[in-house]
Amino acid sequence: MRVDLLPSEGGGTYRFVIILLAICGILISSLPVIVVTIMSFSAADNTGFPPEALSLRWYGEVIAMFTTEDANSAQSVVDSTLTSLLVAIVVMVISTGVCIPLAYALARGDTRIRGGMELLFTLPLVFPLVILGIAFLLIAESLRLDIGIWRIVIPHVALVLPFVLRNCLSAMSGISIEVEEAAVSLGASPLRAIWDVVIPMMKAGILAGLIFALIISFNEFTITFFMYTVDVSTLPIWMYSRTVSSLDPSTLALSVFIIVADVVLIVLVDKLIAGRASLF
Amino acid sequence: MSIQLTRSKALAFSLPALIAILPFLGACFFIFRFSISGEPSRIEGFSIQPYLDLMTPYFGRSVWLTLRLAFIATLLAMVMAVPLAFLLTNLRSRFARRSLTIVILLPLILNLLVQAYGWILLLGPSGVLNSTLRSLGIIERPIFLLFNETGVLLGLVQTSLPLAVFPIVSSVRGISREHLEAASSLGASHWRTFFDVTVPLLRPGLFGAASIVFAFNASAFAIPLLLGGRRVQMMGIAIRDMISPLFNWSGAAAAGMILIFVTLIVLLFSAWLARMTSEKVEH
Repeated sequence: MRVDLLPSEGGGTYRFVIILLAICGILISSLPVIVVTIMSFSAADNTGFPPEALSLRWYGEVIAMFTTEDANSAQSVVDSTLTSLLVAIVVMVISTGVCIPLAYALARGDTRIRGGMELLFTLPLVFPLVILGIAFLLIAESLRLDIGIWRIVIPHVALVLPFVLRNCLSAMSGISIEVEEAAVSLGASPLRAIWDVVIPMMKAGILAGLIFALIISFNEFTITFFMYTVDVSTLPIWMYSRTVSSLDPSTLALSVFIIVADVVLIVLVDKLIAGRASLF
Repeated sequence: MSIQLTRSKALAFSLPALIAILPFLGACFFIFRFSISGEPSRIEGFSIQPYLDLMTPYFGRSVWLTLRLAFIATLLAMVMAVPLAFLLTNLRSRFARRSLTIVILLPLILNLLVQAYGWILLLGPSGVLNSTLRSLGIIERPIFLLFNETGVLLGLVQTSLPLAVFPIVSSVRGISREHLEAASSLGASHWRTFFDVTVPLLRPGLFGAASIVFAFNASAFAIPLLLGGRRVQMMGIAIRDMISPLFNWSGAAAAGMILIFVTLIVLLFSAWLARMTSEKVEH
């Protein structure tokens, strides 16, 4: 007889309770996103539930927000979206750029150093975001430097390093030193062997790291909440300014765009690292 | 010619990443240095006054509220995470497994504002829950679930659930089926197998997951800010208030240090508890 943690038949109250709790978990995880999606299709001006009629008018509104240039509020959503994207791309490039050589050095180097370095680069993951936000704000205010988007890029890089490094390391772990030795014995220089042989083999892990950095930076709220200025502000901050006033359905339609983008990117990461590493 | 990694080459390869993480280390040091500053608005001299100033009933209530909410949210998240981990490891279809993974993972990654909008639409005075209950005639006046502890608690459970599920999934994968089969063949019921075999086998993973979830919830900021209004003063919010209206920077730094310290104590206690209980099992 096959025994499972979740019996497929029979099991009585045990099976019932386990499934019930799992369903509660799924509902808690997904209901907010589902409701936002449903309400974004409402034809009404307010966010009363259930929507009396369905329409795409709020999606039209979002597109109008991005295409018309005259209104002040419309201007700032375009600006903050562009800033968000710019920050996310810079963070993605920098974090991956520094993590690839580090992952190589850690995978090929001393194992004792590796343990310490892995610990060091996990720290941003466990450090409370509020305190990080305040600390970076205090530094920025004390130095009184006008560094533009780097105000946000620098903390974001620290934040995504653990995720990117983990993906690069797991990509390195499958590459044995023999492939490099083969390349070198055929006349390649060691650096060339890394560039032409190792890096192409790390491709999936590197891509997963890139996407992870992009998603995390693009969705980050807490640190940015402390660091943003009138000139440098991101999309989550713009959305926060909308919760303070009453919620309007066009913001929900914009949210749906973000949800779709995130889901697509997560599916992509999941495909890239399928079977070789877990997401955490 | 050898392609062994020399020490200097390893250092050169690590240097860019070390530079990238330097501001983070600087920030950690800065917050500590500020918390023992003699002046509230700049670093000057040494004083423990910022810490002494925090010994107020107001801040004490905030610490207590933070610990309480984080603890309840962790408990709720764990109760749902274990069944979810079982379900996730038991699904046969690849598509179903992927979809469930994404559903669970999304709240951790998705813009917190979108999720806050969702909760506001669900729980608000004219939201989904209240309109449904009212149209069914169960309630007459809307029940308030938002901008109080209930709303914050739901938000915390939702955002921290993935942090609980994924570590448990990897420990569930590590359980050998023989243990379960042995228990079952000896006539143990499903419940008995669960509590006497599965949970003890999962225990290190459970404590590990619970610690991460607790630390994450104790330092929550966006969720209490968006779903708690002004009324649920968790430590993250209290720290922000010291900075934003009050400009008490050294006080905020000291409160931050206390938050880190409190979280560390709970994590150490959890690790100790995990060791103690597993020793008991072996005997």
